Amino acid sequence: MSAFAIVPPPRPARRSLSLPRPSVRRFLLWATLAVLAASLIGVGTAGWRLARAARDNAAIDALAAGRDLPLGPAAGPEAAMARLHFLLLRGRLDEARPVLAAVVARGAPALAAAALYDTANARLRKALEHLEVGQIDAAIPLVRLAKDSYRRALLIDPSFWDAKYNLDIAMRLVRDFPQLDQDGEEPPPEAAKRLWTDLPGIPKGLP
Amino acid sequence: MRARWLPCLIAGLLAGPLAAAFPAAPARAQVDTSRDTGTGEEAAPAPAGEAAPAPAAGGGVRAVDLYAPRAFGYVLGDAFSHQVEIALDPAFTLDAAALPRPRAVTYWLELREVRLEDLGRHDGARRYRLHLGYQTFYAPLEPKRLEVPAVMLAATDGTRRVEARVPAWSFLMSPLREVSGAAPGEALRLRPDAGARPVPTGGALAQLAAAGGAGLLALAALAFQMGWWPFRPGASRPFAAAARRVRRRLDASAGEMDSSSTSPHSSSYAAALLELHRAFDASAGRRLLADDLDGFLAARPGLAAAAPEIRRLFAASRLAFFGENIDIAKTCLPAAELGGLARRLARLERRG
Repeated sequence: MSAFAIVPPPRPARRSLSLPRPSVRRFLLWATLAVLAASLIGVGTAGWRLARAARDNAAIDALAAGRDLPLGPAAGPEAAMARLHFLLLRGRLDEARPVLAAVVARGAPALAAAALYDTANARLRKALEHLEVGQIDAAIPLVRLAKDSYRRALLIDPSFWDAKYNLDIAMRLVRDFPQLDQDGEEPPPEAAKRLWTDLPGIPKGLP
Repeated sequence: MRARWLPCLIAGLLAGPLAAAFPAAPARAQVDTSRDTGTGEEAAPAPAGEAAPAPAAGGGVRAVDLYAPRAFGYVLGDAFSHQVEIALDPAFTLDAAALPRPRAVTYWLELREVRLEDLGRHDGARRYRLHLGYQTFYAPLEPKRLEVPAVMLAATDGTRRVEARVPAWSFLMSPLREVSGAAPGEALRLRPDAGARPVPTGGALAQLAAAGGAGLLALAALAFQMGWWPFRPGASRPFAAAARRVRRRLDASAGEMDSSSTSPHSSSYAAALLELHRAFDASAGRRLLADDLDGFLAARPGLAAAAPEIRRLFAASRLAFFGENIDIAKTCLPAAELGGLARRLARLERRG
């Protein structure tokens, strides 16, 4: 019992010095848990984004290597852009139209402008192929569509110099002309005669 | 084939009378020089002109000043913006419904953006600032002067309606390319496709790193607060440490076939009791006896919730160490309850 009777000089318990008050400790514990939960959510979303990017990049690589693969609805706009480019390079313009719409609707502005530009290029290339064999009637609507797409690309990004350059080429093939606003009246015969086609025929007699 | 006749086609266009003969071609746009002073650089825009007072105005509109960028050096697809400062009589407000909508103004001019800022009333006038963003799609073959048409705005004071006219603005456009390329076929050589690009992963990687780092820090902070590895509870958390040691002792005692055959002091149960006593001693800062319990619990209200069990613990140890009878002590406080009490004390200690 004598051992129990020895009372050391009283000293304050260490815990009261080294640790903050209970309410503060409880708050710190909850704050830590909140930060932990938020960072777990952050890690989860980042992992999900990386997994999606890896899947889309695999699809982009496959399409660039020339293997066509239809994209599911979950594919990102970059993968859709790769498929659009794949179709355009092979002249499958009709198949490319819904893909273009998807890229424009879901892609970032720069990507949408690039998709419109590539589509316009494909249309213009096809129009030039028609012109080479003299199929002017087939070429004109393609040039018009190309101009429209270049214009949409430039509306998204006015500093898209390649689009300006190629639009200039398309403009010289088929020029823009003002709509005749005659308030319902028939255009005068001279105007009708001058406007009967956008594309002049092959000039004869010029050097 | 293409090289042979396509240049002729272009030449035909150049020489062709079509382009020049169009009645609405903007080359003939009359430029009112009195309104065409806005040739300053964008950095220091000068008023491009005062509004011609509308004939039916009869007051209401005090001034319409157009601040325009440089009036030259534009090529196909360039965008430019006009800033219009409008001052009305204080009673008047600008009719937002009468503002132009973003649209194709003419076949070559696109109105991209219309933004009206209400500057409120100051200097005895109601002031507005109107931003008009345009983009030109004219493809000139030679430098050509074009005109952005005037814009009509409407202001009203509730009864009267007056018009404010943003003056027309003319500017010079330049061709983007030469008329015919140096090499055959050059004029029709397209710029290359933009092509597909891989999905950028930098942002997601940065997010992963940031969130992962924050998560590890939070985990470390949590481990510190809970006394997990590697933040073993030291002297500041005697009950947490005791709880772990008590569990070890009791686990060992589960292996003993008959604890009564060993001496009380070597029994695992007694050792577990001692561990808890040492934790009480460390927490109190001195040797704690059963008689001191009331003062100890009063000083630590956090542990008071477990007061009945603590009293049973002290009673059990009195039986074990002074009565030398472990079995009776075990009926007072069974081994399972001893482990539970140790865990509960550690939990109460953590909460403070």
